[in-house]
Amino acid sequence: MTEDDEAFVKVVDVLKEPVRIAPDLTIRVMAEIEQFPVPGAEPTPTPLRFAWARRRLTLRLSPLGALATAAGLAAVVLAGSRIAAPGETSGLQGAGEAAESMRPTQFVLVAPQAASVTVVGDFNDWNPSATPLASANGGGGGVWWVTVPLPPGRYRYAFVVDGTTWLADPEASAVEHEFGRPSSVVTIGGA
Amino acid sequence: MTEEGDGLLVRRVLAGERQVYARLVERYRDRLGRYAVRMLGNRADAEEALQDAFVRGYRSLARCTSAERFGPWLFGILVNRCRTYAARQARRQALVVTNEVAVASASVAHGEEESAWREAIFWALERLSADQREAFLLKHVEDLSYEEMEKLTGTRAPALRMRVLRAREELRRLLGEMVRD
Repeated sequence: MTEDDEAFVKVVDVLKEPVRIAPDLTIRVMAEIEQFPVPGAEPTPTPLRFAWARRRLTLRLSPLGALATAAGLAAVVLAGSRIAAPGETSGLQGAGEAAESMRPTQFVLVAPQAASVTVVGDFNDWNPSATPLASANGGGGGVWWVTVPLPPGRYRYAFVVDGTTWLADPEASAVEHEFGRPSSVVTIGGA
Repeated sequence: MTEEGDGLLVRRVLAGERQVYARLVERYRDRLGRYAVRMLGNRADAEEALQDAFVRGYRSLARCTSAERFGPWLFGILVNRCRTYAARQARRQALVVTNEVAVASASVAHGEEESAWREAIFWALERLSADQREAFLLKHVEDLSYEEMEKLTGTRAPALRMRVLRAREELRRLLGEMVRD
């Protein structure tokens, strides 16, 4: 079998076919490394993508009136217009351009029975405690929301209800599977 | 969103953002997984070796001197883990009757003849010695140069060339037998 004969090419083609590893491998790895300390290294500066948290932001968002009357379970993601940052007081000069390209993105879930809701996604490394949603009456009104400034791009996300129930956005059209569970996709447009 | 490079992700993990490591695992899971599956011939062993490699990679991440080359660095760890698992397999070889990958592949919407041919390829690959299989996969499936293979395996290029040559001869013999049957 030489490198250029047909049989050899065929063998290599078959062996090069992609392999799909079970998505829960990621969860197993992450669970296992929990027991180990963070590997030591030089400290690095705070990543630019978190610069928005230090800025004073003025948000312009669509109203949510219609949603509040929705029955049962519904959710929506609203991408606002460009964030204006007048009267900005923080000193992140170098981060100015990156922060100004952020879009206020509102994640809303109507879940009257929920005691807590968080959103997980590409933008917070699927960390269920990173981005909690707020509600008017401790969830009694059923509408939970949070606004997350995001740069334009495509994000996968899902809601986590009461810390245990993973929920794809029932209103989102695209669904992909993250860690073997359903998740939704939102695309935030550019300027 | 601009895809963050390996270097940035590695630095974030090292700065204490443990969760970010999940993104590196996601990024390389399938790409590295192919080598493990081909080398070990069954998914259970391959996924165990892969998990082992990712965990070892995390624990020694500070030694990943070129963070931008996380993928190739982790691949080196995986190649070593696969050697260990292959040695374990060799010890229990008497128990291995079928190649699970071959069976699984054959069941995926391929024609009967195509399935038989694919099954034969996986079967023949498994018949190679672990050294030959490793050299063949690194050279022809992962497309590494002999120089890269030297660094990865610690074996000199002439010996690696010989293993690849023997592997090709053996595959030809095994697959030829199959065709004649």
